[in-house]
Amino acid sequence: MLKTMLELGKIHFKEYTTYKSNFYLFTLNRIVEVIVYIFVWQAIYNQTGNAGGFTIEQMVTYYILVISLASIATWGVNEDMAHSIRNGKINKELLSPISYFKYYFGIYLGEIAFAIPVSLATFIICAIFWNVAMPVSIVNFILFLLVIILILPISFFIQMIIGTVGFYTNSIWGMQILRKSVVSIFSGLIAPLTLFPQWFQTIANILPFKEFIYTPINIYLGTIQTNEIGFILAKLIVWIIILYLISKTFFNHAVKKITINGG
Amino acid sequence: MKNIIHNMQLYFSFFEASLKEVLIYRLDCIAGMISQIVTQLVSIIFVWITYQNTDNLAGWTFKQSLLLYGIMLTSIGLVDLCFDSLYDIGPKYIREGTFDKILLRPVHPLISIIGESKAFTAFGYLGLGLFITISMLAKLAIPITFVLILKIIFFSIIGAAIIGAIITIFSISSFWTYKSNEIIWTFFRMYTFTQYPIEIYNGFIKFLITCILPFAFVAYYPTMNYLGIDKYMTWLSPIIAIILWIIAVNVWNWALKKYRSTGN
Repeated sequence: MLKTMLELGKIHFKEYTTYKSNFYLFTLNRIVEVIVYIFVWQAIYNQTGNAGGFTIEQMVTYYILVISLASIATWGVNEDMAHSIRNGKINKELLSPISYFKYYFGIYLGEIAFAIPVSLATFIICAIFWNVAMPVSIVNFILFLLVIILILPISFFIQMIIGTVGFYTNSIWGMQILRKSVVSIFSGLIAPLTLFPQWFQTIANILPFKEFIYTPINIYLGTIQTNEIGFILAKLIVWIIILYLISKTFFNHAVKKITINGG
Repeated sequence: MKNIIHNMQLYFSFFEASLKEVLIYRLDCIAGMISQIVTQLVSIIFVWITYQNTDNLAGWTFKQSLLLYGIMLTSIGLVDLCFDSLYDIGPKYIREGTFDKILLRPVHPLISIIGESKAFTAFGYLGLGLFITISMLAKLAIPITFVLILKIIFFSIIGAAIIGAIITIFSISSFWTYKSNEIIWTFFRMYTFTQYPIEIYNGFIKFLITCILPFAFVAYYPTMNYLGIDKYMTWLSPIIAIILWIIAVNVWNWALKKYRSTGN
């Protein structure tokens, strides 16, 4: 089963790489986005001598990592799901011997496999133009990677919940933009969460999105105490279990009501 | 002149047809509008956070910055509304072969394609942009005179025309790659540079957004005019828009000659 999933991932990855220009353009897109943030913070730092409680080097590194991680944190399979709901391809996907969840997890892996080189290239190119801080220690770097690996199932199950909503509405285009916006706000993608009001931080602490961007970067920068990391990992595992149960139950319920467009 | 009027009439009848097409999916359209507004709120939160850390950015206050943002968003709304289908040239028109059909029509293909834009969710941007603009004008105690309203309408349309010309120029990449949306999107996204006063950038970016891809004339210079900081630069915008469109139409016609059907 795992082999089938990896094969699906490979096919999806190849679909992306047939257009090599995609890779350069995705990377360029990322860099255009980060430039604004970095210049704004540099201007603030030059005027006030303070960059939101971080040193300017840490802040610049924060945003370069944000933009590098953003593709891993926000890309997903919702567009493909929406497409097959609309043109009836979902018919085949439901009847195929591999389960719907495993089928899309395979595709999701292909998507992430493409996101990783984009992330690395973005990081390397930005590191040429700006001073980037290195991870404070090897342990921190390994924990940074571990948190990123643990967010993948969380992100995937959320996408499956949204994809299942599409069984009822036939259109998840709006929902999936909403997903990206919610992730952007609560993950620290716009700015470090410590700069938000207190009530907002309380919500962000409960939701799993903080671990998409803010937590791994702060582990990288060494601004999180090591004894908090155990708690963070436990929180992620609890969220994986909760979201798995919700998405599975919802899907099993919804699949009985599905109407298929032609196909 | 008669030719231009004829082309305009054709454009509006295409526009009307696409509007009717979209209204069939009313719910999807509303969902799209709401999510686009949420996306913009994300950017506004960043502006807010910026001014939590400093009381001015290159001399601009929070309210002035938001006014700039609102003016920009109004133009972006117009761009989305009118030029959305340029993204489809590669993936939809050329790859599926409908481009050949458009070539056979007795209309310039550019008008056919632009007229088929149906991003009516852009009304979300437009509404939010106008709301921010008006409320910030009120908060900044700038008298909303008839002349100011005319100026805002005029420069918003000119701003949209400038961005429209830029993405029309980059849309010619469709004729070679059949997959142009990413290229157009990359250059379109550079509008985010001018959501902040351009003084914060280094010389290279300043040069890029005033001289090469003149995004600064979309919202930055008009806003300077409304605020009374710089009265004259903005009057260059219409000239720039006209020059850009002359370039765009010529480049497009040149690229059209190179077009080879995918044979669907």
